[in-house]
Amino acid sequence: MKQSKRTVFIAMLALAAIFVSSAAFAAEEIKVGALFPLTGPAAVSGQNCVNAVQAAVEVINKKNADINDPLAAQEGLVGGKYVIKVVPADHQGKPDVAKSEAERLYNQEKVFAIIGCYNSSATKPASAVAERAKKLFLCGCSSSAALTERGYKYFFRHAPTDAIESVEFVDYIAYLNKEKNAGIKTLGIIYENTEFGKHAAEEAVKAAKKIDLKIVADVPFNNGATNLNSEVQKLKSANPDVVFGAALGGDYSLWVRTMKQVNWLPKMAINYCTGYQNPAVQKELGSDGNFFMGGMGYSPELAKQFMPEGIKIQDKYYTPKSNQPFDSDSIQEAVMMMVLAQAIEKAGGPDTEKVREIIATQEFPSTMSLSGKVKFSPDGQNAEALSVITQLHEQSYKTVFPLKYKDFEPTIPMTPWDKR
Amino acid sequence: MSNFMQVLIDGLLSGLLYALVSAGLSMIWGVMDVINFAHGEFLMVAMYICYWLGFILKIDPLFTWVASGIFLFILGAVTYRWIVKGSLGKAAMAPLLATFGLSMLLKNFCMNRFSPNFRLLSGTLLDGKTFEFCGAIISLPQFVTGIFSLIVVAALYWLVKKTRLGWAIQATAMDKEAAELMGIDTEKIFLLVFGLGGACVGVAGGLMTTYLAVHPEVGGLFSLIAFVVVALGGFGSIPGAFAAAILIGLVESFTGFYVAAVLKYVAVFAIYLVVILVRPKGLFGW
Repeated sequence: MKQSKRTVFIAMLALAAIFVSSAAFAAEEIKVGALFPLTGPAAVSGQNCVNAVQAAVEVINKKNADINDPLAAQEGLVGGKYVIKVVPADHQGKPDVAKSEAERLYNQEKVFAIIGCYNSSATKPASAVAERAKKLFLCGCSSSAALTERGYKYFFRHAPTDAIESVEFVDYIAYLNKEKNAGIKTLGIIYENTEFGKHAAEEAVKAAKKIDLKIVADVPFNNGATNLNSEVQKLKSANPDVVFGAALGGDYSLWVRTMKQVNWLPKMAINYCTGYQNPAVQKELGSDGNFFMGGMGYSPELAKQFMPEGIKIQDKYYTPKSNQPFDSDSIQEAVMMMVLAQAIEKAGGPDTEKVREIIATQEFPSTMSLSGKVKFSPDGQNAEALSVITQLHEQSYKTVFPLKYKDFEPTIPMTPWDKR
Repeated sequence: MSNFMQVLIDGLLSGLLYALVSAGLSMIWGVMDVINFAHGEFLMVAMYICYWLGFILKIDPLFTWVASGIFLFILGAVTYRWIVKGSLGKAAMAPLLATFGLSMLLKNFCMNRFSPNFRLLSGTLLDGKTFEFCGAIISLPQFVTGIFSLIVVAALYWLVKKTRLGWAIQATAMDKEAAELMGIDTEKIFLLVFGLGGACVGVAGGLMTTYLAVHPEVGGLFSLIAFVVVALGGFGSIPGAFAAAILIGLVESFTGFYVAAVLKYVAVFAIYLVVILVRPKGLFGW
């Protein structure tokens, strides 16, 4: 009896020792909010963005000897003292929900920073909450140029803006007109009537003036519409040589299908950060998606050449979650997670002011960025942001501009629907 | 002229689609005075059925609308028996809240099972087929949906106005107790009406799969428009709902093209507000 009591006592002591030691060595969690549209018209893209952030966190928290990334070789941050925990949140594509969710994440969930929000219209109010609270807000792919024109100190954005993309689009058109005699003189713009769409259209108008591209159709639409018949009919009756499109997710596929229904296509259709970039949307469109173009910061084809480590992260952690490769939008959210983690590592812990200072002033190597690095200007915009113009051919994004990255001779004008 | 014709035909085809989506809701609302808040999600379920039948078994939606119609008839009847029936006679909002709960359940179930991905059937029999009429290009999938809408609405009208069953439905709608005294089994009538309402939206959803993408949120705006159609046309009036649907389709199309695309739904809801203010019972209400 006495012996069994002693055995129980030793066992309990051992258990207590294990508990105390594990508590002593358990890494502290740094919570990071991932605020994206997990329901609503852009839900597919939102879920991909959360998966991308989580893929980056797997690289940060686990030891990944097979991946050559600044934080992959170690386990956790600051010698294993910290690990990142993602707190996903859904703004449904609604600015008011984004604002209240940002408040909840900072005040109740006590997140250190938020990464988001995909829709520029949601990013704007959510980042305003962060700025007031003096908390960090990192934005991967929201492209409205206005976001980095507000003089915010705690807001940083990775993606090239609509302004950068618009200039690139018209530069390409100028090149085609000069070198290929493409005869592109008129422009139509179709865009969702949101923060993102309206700013994209404004930048398109500004850029078009640069090469005297005449705007013959300006067509905003309500996202999530039941049909886009009158919108496409407006484009068709104006018959522009090139159309710039800013339609996300399901609206993009509806736009393409409606053009097919009315049997009309411009010579070229170039898209901003939209459903064009989403492989899932393109898979559903099948061959109807062919010959459309768009600005991109990532494609599996580009990655093979310029981002081999990004492909490793994609295959190991992202594709098992999303059942598809990264797209231009989601990968940029992963990059911002990596930047945040590198800054925390350099700061020695989650000190908001120190981390902000490091993000604002230092350059970060980035295996998932086309330029290979990230460096923010004083306005919070990534000065190293790069995007290329691609054309879709049978589910494959072929790079056509800038010429430095070109790997394919594009089909211009687009092949008409009845000749496909 | 060709623009005008195109806009006119687009408006008519949209209107016919709205009529098909709204017909079942109109019946349920008119006969039972119950707002089926899950109507949009019924539409979504029908679209998923035809999508998966097309994707897995390669059966064209031109045939599978029968399956979605039957399934939604059963879903409608089950919804009545298990969800709506228990909430009738309680607080006025009880059936509305019960069907709202069902709509959340269906939407989140599909979101969970099928992800929010947009799913589009390619290579269907009608995919991309068009024909020209008076200078306007008509999309064959939309045209076929429009023809089905005419058939379904006419069949419903015939059923309600010309058959003994229809007379029983009308009697139940007018005075439930009096109908019961006349020997009408009003429970069965309610069950049938909910089933028929489901079947109509089942056919609509099935045919829509030929040209629209399916996703868990697809029913949202359609159900909102269906509520407007039913209220505008007059509660329970099938010809009223039909006329209102065509009116809404035309207003949407003409405003979208000749005024501003972003204002097309504004115009639809503005007309609804005006009609409700001037004639609260709707255009054809009694």
